Amino acid sequence: MRLKAKTAARINGILMFLPYFVLLVMFAVIPIIMAFNVSIGPSRLSPGGGVGNYLFVLNDFRFLSALANVGLFLAIYLPAMLIVVAGLSLLLDTISSKYTVPLRLAYLVPAGITGSVAILVWYFMLEPSYSPFAPLLAEFGLTEGTDIFNTSNLIYIFALMAFFTGAGNWIVIQYGSLQSIPDEVLEAARVDGANAFQLAFQIKLPMIRKYLIYMLILVFAAGLQIFVEPFLISSSVYPGLAKDWSLNQLSYTLAFTGSNLGAATALSMMLMLVMVGLALIVIYRTDFFDEAVVKTEKERA
Amino acid sequence: MKIRYLSGLALASSLVLSACAGGGTADDSGSTGSTDAASAEGANSLLIYVDPVREPACLAFQEKMAGEAEVTCEVVGQEEILTKVQLSNQTGEGWPDVTFNPSNNVGIYQDPLNGYALNLDDYVDPAIIEGYEGSGDWCLIDGSYWCLKNDLAQTVLWYDTVIFEELGLTVPTTMDEFSATALKLEGTGYVAGAIGDQGFYAGYLWPSGCPISQVVDTDTVRINPDAVECTRVFELVQPLVDAGVLDTRGSFDAGFIEDVARQQNVAMTIGPSWWGEFVIRPEDSWGIEAGRMTAAEMPTWTGESTAWSGEWGGGVWVGNANHPNPQLVADAVVFLATDPDMREDKVTFPGYGPAFKKWRQRLIEDPFYAADPTEAMVIQAPKIRQTERPARFDLRGQLGVLGTEIQGSSDVEAATRTFMDGAAELARGVGYTVVN
Amino acid sequence: MMNNSIAMQTRRKARLRPQAIPAKVAVWTVMILFAIFSVIPMLWLVLAPSKTQRQLQQEFPLSFGSFQGYVDSWNNLMVFQDGRIVDWIINSIWYSAVQVSVASIVALLAGYALAATRIPLRRTLLITTLVAMIVPQVAFVLPLFVEITALGLYNTAWAIILPGTFFPFGVFLSYIYFTTTIPSELYDAAKIDGAGDWATFFRVAMPLSWGLVGMLAFFSFQVNWINFFLPYVVVTSGEVLTLPVGLGILFSSTPALSPQVGANVLPIRAPEIALAGMMIAIPILVVFVASARVLVRGVLAGSVKS
Repeated sequence: MRLKAKTAARINGILMFLPYFVLLVMFAVIPIIMAFNVSIGPSRLSPGGGVGNYLFVLNDFRFLSALANVGLFLAIYLPAMLIVVAGLSLLLDTISSKYTVPLRLAYLVPAGITGSVAILVWYFMLEPSYSPFAPLLAEFGLTEGTDIFNTSNLIYIFALMAFFTGAGNWIVIQYGSLQSIPDEVLEAARVDGANAFQLAFQIKLPMIRKYLIYMLILVFAAGLQIFVEPFLISSSVYPGLAKDWSLNQLSYTLAFTGSNLGAATALSMMLMLVMVGLALIVIYRTDFFDEAVVKTEKERA
Repeated sequence: MKIRYLSGLALASSLVLSACAGGGTADDSGSTGSTDAASAEGANSLLIYVDPVREPACLAFQEKMAGEAEVTCEVVGQEEILTKVQLSNQTGEGWPDVTFNPSNNVGIYQDPLNGYALNLDDYVDPAIIEGYEGSGDWCLIDGSYWCLKNDLAQTVLWYDTVIFEELGLTVPTTMDEFSATALKLEGTGYVAGAIGDQGFYAGYLWPSGCPISQVVDTDTVRINPDAVECTRVFELVQPLVDAGVLDTRGSFDAGFIEDVARQQNVAMTIGPSWWGEFVIRPEDSWGIEAGRMTAAEMPTWTGESTAWSGEWGGGVWVGNANHPNPQLVADAVVFLATDPDMREDKVTFPGYGPAFKKWRQRLIEDPFYAADPTEAMVIQAPKIRQTERPARFDLRGQLGVLGTEIQGSSDVEAATRTFMDGAAELARGVGYTVVN
Repeated sequence: MMNNSIAMQTRRKARLRPQAIPAKVAVWTVMILFAIFSVIPMLWLVLAPSKTQRQLQQEFPLSFGSFQGYVDSWNNLMVFQDGRIVDWIINSIWYSAVQVSVASIVALLAGYALAATRIPLRRTLLITTLVAMIVPQVAFVLPLFVEITALGLYNTAWAIILPGTFFPFGVFLSYIYFTTTIPSELYDAAKIDGAGDWATFFRVAMPLSWGLVGMLAFFSFQVNWINFFLPYVVVTSGEVLTLPVGLGILFSSTPALSPQVGANVLPIRAPEIALAGMMIAIPILVVFVASARVLVRGVLAGSVKS
């Protein structure tokens, strides 16, 4: 009797999980396997297959600069996100919650401006002949479109775009995490004589540290894959400005203008490897997701 | 046990699917074996990719073929046509049947490993080719015609007669004279053109004979920034840039248009034949006033016996070799490239002889131009220097880098070297040997 | 002068002493400046279609033009390929609708399965989901291209829709929700009543999970509505594409941002392209603002070890 119930429970569980499992196999596992096959397959310059395509990518004259671009972009973008998101959410937390509502709504507004819309809006925000910020730009001696949109500024421009889209809603989310800090802890600290700064940096910040790290991980993963913004700006206003600027753009170019799907998938595999590696490190080497995973060990009666 | 079954199923299906894919997608050789799917529905239908300027031509063709064939006209950015065709090569389906392309693309399509371009020799009446009077030979690769030229974009020397009269300048006939005349503009607020775009390649490097995509044979291309044909360009142009008489912005740059062009401050500029109607005249663009501009022949480089031109534009129509009905495709290509009745009010210099005659008449009678600009264009038409030829790598994409570099550094030599080094890498990436 | 927080008993009002008022002003200034910086670009986007191209360049950037301006901008947009923009709008709407519905239901069920049933290999499946969650879909685009063409779905609506239904983050959220929010006593009570897993799901879990469903729909919509790279690669026909990719087409095929393209042929300039951008941004904005309270209550609370 008991055995039958347990089996029924297993089957029901499997059935409920099955649709997702099918999607997982179809749209995550199989594509990776297929792409891997193509990446070790033959191509024009590497007829033998094997690691030829990988070597081709690593030696490609655009690879190192794309890597550097993405690296520098992340080096500016991530700290900016961390500082501003942590800072502003802590600031928000110092005022009473009813006053935060209009501010939080304002911070959510940029979330709609992402991808192709981001390029559109930011082109107009930075082009002096259209921009509402023109006087501010002029203060810095930036009076021409080409003063701003040139290759040496690209890292800052894309970091600005990514920051603008992401910071606001992360501020709201981290503010939410701050609300989950128990009152007793804060009261105890206040009783001990902590001032606002100490409260923020020694109590609150450490308690939301994990949430901030989680944010950085997601932001890093997405940032590494940047494609839309440099791609679109090079295909319109400033042709060739950010051509093959990011790793994903290089992958796309290799596949579709260089007729080298082997090299393109090789690059894709390398990026995938980095990300899966990062994810596994986070899961296994930090205690970040431990609570969630531990729950799977608990038996349901 | 259920889990083992499920994971086994997943593994099996993944192996089956990857076996199917691994066969045809390693390279761009997917063009065989797919015609069965296409022929079922496709023998009487045509998908045509155009840019906005050519869309009316396509729609006219659509109307003409009503009842006989189903024609779809799709507007696609010129930067993207190549990738879309490559995508179709990868997937083995969905090719556009006629495409309007930047001129270098035919070199990529004609590559046997690509296989997109239809060999027109068997399907196009030789009289059509003769009608081009030689100006269609960009499309002549390895002895066959793989495209038809839509227009010629030979560079000419546009100049403003009013400014020339004001400053007492004469029209330069050599590049040294060009340089001297340009330097006379220093301090006057007038400029001799904007070079932060493709115009520098088409108007200076190409006519000088600087080897950038000088295809020697199927496996060899000559790319050499140290050649005297390149260095003389650097030596001539850099002083002009330093003196401020050559603007480093692009000709379409909003700032350049607002500050310089619309102020009627362009004294002269080397530009393609379509600039008159497309760039110089329209209100939205340079908006030069009537009765000022006309075109003269290209200045000659020292030691050359011919006043060579380069080309900026000069699009080509290419047909799809994978279509089940090649004659229909070829007929479409011919119509779009040559139909005289459509050419009269177009902005570009028609490549095809009879169509051109109608177009020329209109321009001669047009009071916008201070004098007949077409004479210079006709003279330059057969003088497009043949050193540059269609190549198997994406030169056009790389040209964007040239413009960007010039805008950013104002160092013409450094910008060109970066551009050419990139071109050399791209060439090697498709299997060329790069020689000096 | 004394800190009377104990007496006030209000949840974390930082009581500031009078000499800390400059600090308070600084705090408010920073927050308000950031708010202004956040709002101005969207404000520009919403106001731009009401003006003409000339007005955009010459008048104050945040001025309002006229309501007729919006109508004119729309009519100009419609000129492109005879109303192609309508195709894009319709496609964006129905693709997202399908993706959001399917993704949410699938994630709901899968999360419940992980949380409350005796599915085998729970730990492995959860870890796979965590990994898939961290790797963004963009990383899969080329592999998906290879697979989709092999499946013969290239250039169809399903090439865009189906990958968007794979929603590991949703499964994770759902799992967390069902393990933290629903007390085990409720499960036990249902079991004692003799209910099987399905009955427990429908009678106990579902009625309590409307908040979760909202969150799943929200996140799924946000990701799928603005997706560019995948649709761009797996679909090539304009009439099958979505608004974000359509906007990209307007970038490269119209004179709005590419003056070297058809300037005297298409009436599509900055106001028109801003209108197209608005149509992408506004739905997201609306959804975000409507879900603000949910976001605040703590999307992450309970999911990550605190």
